[in-house]
Amino acid sequence: MNAGRRMGPSYASSEGAASVRATLRALRDSGVAPSGAAAPLEVQPRSDEPPRLEAAVPIEGERIAVRTIPEPPVAGVAAFLDGIQRSQVVAHVDGVPLVHGAVAAAIRLRVDRRLRTWDAPRLRRALFAPLALLPAPLAEALRARVQVHDLGEVPSRHPQEITARALTAVQRAREAAEGELVSAWTARGAGTLVVDGGIAGHADGARHDGVIGVVKSHRTLYTGEDALPLLLGLREGERSTAVRVTSPRRHPVASWYLRLRDPAGRSPLFGLVRVEVSPETRDLTARADLVSRWLLAERAPVALPDQRWDVMVYGIRDCEQYLTAILA
Amino acid sequence: MTTPILGRVVATERRPNTPHEFHFWTALDAPIGIGTIVRVESARPIAGVLPTIYGVVTEGFGYTDLQTPLHDVLGADGEPAGSAFAPTERTEIRLYTAAVLRHVPEEPLQPVPMGTVHLATEADVHAALRMDSYVGGSAARGIPVGLYRAGGTEAAVHLDADFLLGPEAAHLSISGVSGLATKTSAVEWLLGSIFAHFPASKGRVAAVCFNVKGPDLCFLDQPATSLTEEDRAIYARLGVPAAPFANVHYFAPWSAKGGQLATLRSNEALQHNVTPLTWGLRETLQYAEVLLNKDDVDAKADALIDFIKERVLDQVFSDPALERAHEVRSFSDLEQWFRELLRGLEARNSDVWRTHHIATIRKVRNRLTNISTRCKGLVTDDGMVSDLPFGSMQDRAVYVVDVANLEEDAQDLVFARIVSQLREHLEKRQLGVEQVIVFVDELNKYAPADGPDTYVRKMLLDIAERGRYLGLVLFGAQQFRSQVHRRVVGNSGSTLYGRMDPDELATPGYQTLAPATKARLATLEKGQLMVRHPHFGQPIFVRFPRPAVLTGREGVERFPQAEEMALDAAITRALRRLDPTISLGWVQDALALAGEDEDGILRARNRTLQAKPDDVKAFFKAQLRKRATPEVAARRGPTPLRVPASDDPYG
Repeated sequence: MNAGRRMGPSYASSEGAASVRATLRALRDSGVAPSGAAAPLEVQPRSDEPPRLEAAVPIEGERIAVRTIPEPPVAGVAAFLDGIQRSQVVAHVDGVPLVHGAVAAAIRLRVDRRLRTWDAPRLRRALFAPLALLPAPLAEALRARVQVHDLGEVPSRHPQEITARALTAVQRAREAAEGELVSAWTARGAGTLVVDGGIAGHADGARHDGVIGVVKSHRTLYTGEDALPLLLGLREGERSTAVRVTSPRRHPVASWYLRLRDPAGRSPLFGLVRVEVSPETRDLTARADLVSRWLLAERAPVALPDQRWDVMVYGIRDCEQYLTAILA
Repeated sequence: MTTPILGRVVATERRPNTPHEFHFWTALDAPIGIGTIVRVESARPIAGVLPTIYGVVTEGFGYTDLQTPLHDVLGADGEPAGSAFAPTERTEIRLYTAAVLRHVPEEPLQPVPMGTVHLATEADVHAALRMDSYVGGSAARGIPVGLYRAGGTEAAVHLDADFLLGPEAAHLSISGVSGLATKTSAVEWLLGSIFAHFPASKGRVAAVCFNVKGPDLCFLDQPATSLTEEDRAIYARLGVPAAPFANVHYFAPWSAKGGQLATLRSNEALQHNVTPLTWGLRETLQYAEVLLNKDDVDAKADALIDFIKERVLDQVFSDPALERAHEVRSFSDLEQWFRELLRGLEARNSDVWRTHHIATIRKVRNRLTNISTRCKGLVTDDGMVSDLPFGSMQDRAVYVVDVANLEEDAQDLVFARIVSQLREHLEKRQLGVEQVIVFVDELNKYAPADGPDTYVRKMLLDIAERGRYLGLVLFGAQQFRSQVHRRVVGNSGSTLYGRMDPDELATPGYQTLAPATKARLATLEKGQLMVRHPHFGQPIFVRFPRPAVLTGREGVERFPQAEEMALDAAITRALRRLDPTISLGWVQDALALAGEDEDGILRARNRTLQAKPDDVKAFFKAQLRKRATPEVAARRGPTPLRVPASDDPYG
């Protein structure tokens, strides 16, 4: 009977010492009145970069072309990785917002068609604040009681500027947690890991054959104007030929677009994902075809009721559900 | 006790835990089902004690992360086979609801805390069902009712004798659809268990069973032919001998023709313990109310019947309207009495006799003398009585009264009289046993929820409400519990349910059961029961073995019913039980010599069977001669009805 093992916590309880409750208690004890319940910063409107096209270098043929996946979908993915984050303003001190941030990342390994957690999930909780703007005794008191992430120098005391900085810091914490798991997988995992989002930010992932990134959002489309109609016209089960995506602070990856679902009557981005793999692949076409077949196989079960179900594979949804549960 | 953790208690605002109910989830492959008993262990002490809660699973839920089935349709592109190729199965949950059986400690009674859920061990089952207070030890009084089995745990489930047979509570109600080996089988099994485990210190116990249909109870003394190894294992586990009842007595009225007994247990090989059940006028008139409904008998007629019972019956009665003194002891005597009374009134040209109008007298005559016709075979014209051994009932004996072939009125009469006699004897502590179990099948017929307030129903209500103080215990079986009077079922301390009809389960009496429990009840296998008992906080499912007795169906195949035989052959067969040397030829000669009519011959046989004389032949011949000779015919005067034969040692 292994029920006992299954029922046990799958992550270390020592992690996440700065729970919201502990943080609020620490603030109260320090004479700071907590704010009322506020919406998570992640769901508040913010000004994003504008959508754009960015030309990329074709590496599978001379120009971007459409390729029909030659063989039917086949299951080949071993595990899925995703991370989530939550941040909220818990108090203001002299107008300076104090943000509680929590991040978590996990790999869910598929065993007998069911998903279970691989390794320990990464869980971080901290109070994000520009300590220099807080009274020194309070900063010391908070440091003594909870995990504090100093936002450092900020250009201004504008509260929105500070919350934007905090949100970025939380996001980096999440990426770091995800990166830890990618590294762990490349070191110890067996089989192919699908990562929610790109892998260019993970040095180990971007160089490892067993890691695939699946990007669901397309604020940046890696194509020139000329190939755009071709890319947007991809039909279900078709992919674009691969390009090399590079970025100053990121690692180069081979990438292509894949249409997971029929977009008829819907947005041209419906069911469209961008796949990232290590560029150090001997036969890129064969590799891209195989990975595409794997991802097409992951369309079922459908990730509904998630709003991004057209581009989200079920394993990633499962990760999110799991992380939401342990972060609650 | 360390047992694997099988689940965890959960509670949400929408689905909170209460002191009586809690929820838990398990792995998909956990051996949990409806009826499984579980133990909750909390890590948070209350008043310094870690609480343990026992519960029984009453409902189960399984669902996935889908919000609507449509999402699955979309995911499979509308092709049911499409989902089969999904590399991942959807996240799925098994969520169970359990009803609390017991909190340890009992106080303070709080909502079930969060904790780990474990399968109950045998010791847990004992604790959960509070059996620790009456099973084992010096004051043991547990009666095994079956075996609880779930998830590899096996535990004997006992009923408390004090709550099954009194005095704390009493009575048993058994419900279940017909033909699925529930009611009769369960009673046969439980009687065997009671006889094996009822503590001697609590007195002697016997059972009186009414066989109301078919051959159900006709072979209780014959061994079963279909016991499996599993059945035998259950018998052994529960300490009940896998053997038929050792001490069984059958009673059946004569057939309408009177030649043989009206029972399916008529095979010659089984006649050693079959006794005629016949009553005379006195026994019948005592319960005239059973047979005469209010439409038949108004206050005036009632007054005349009372007069007859008090002033005429079993005594010498003289009146100017009568030519001679009468001693009315039989229906024949009563008919003579009426005839002479009416003749006398007509001769005097009088309409009234002792304030009773002649029309009332005619009506009562018609109704009373009609009884012997309606209950032919049971009620004898000549006052012959062959009855159950009230006063000398034996410990752990079963007395089966076969009324399956009687008319409904006669069944009511048998039932009313026997139960009344049991009660009267128990009140006087003169029955021979201190506890008697009365098993009645088709209780909905005798104590219906609706319908007229009959004598039988009133009597059953009285037993249900007061019988436990006397040791008179009712085991009632019925297909539809909802159709039995609620005061009867309400007073049943214990209840057994076999497979139930879904329509019956939809009636208000089952509202307290969870839908899953009802669904399980509607699909119970043979040999499974749901048990309610005062010590059990919730109904419990148990398994019981096949009865160790021959089933009615097998019995009639193995012991075919005796053919309807000629009168002389029937007389021969009856007398040979007393004297095996009697031959058909001897009987034929005796009958030829006597020249008696059929009724006279049957009377002679009945008297011989009742008297059980040493010299059967001489006694029988004397009875024949008595009816044939003129001086016996002149017995219509105030002479004793039964003139002892010279060779009758019991005369």
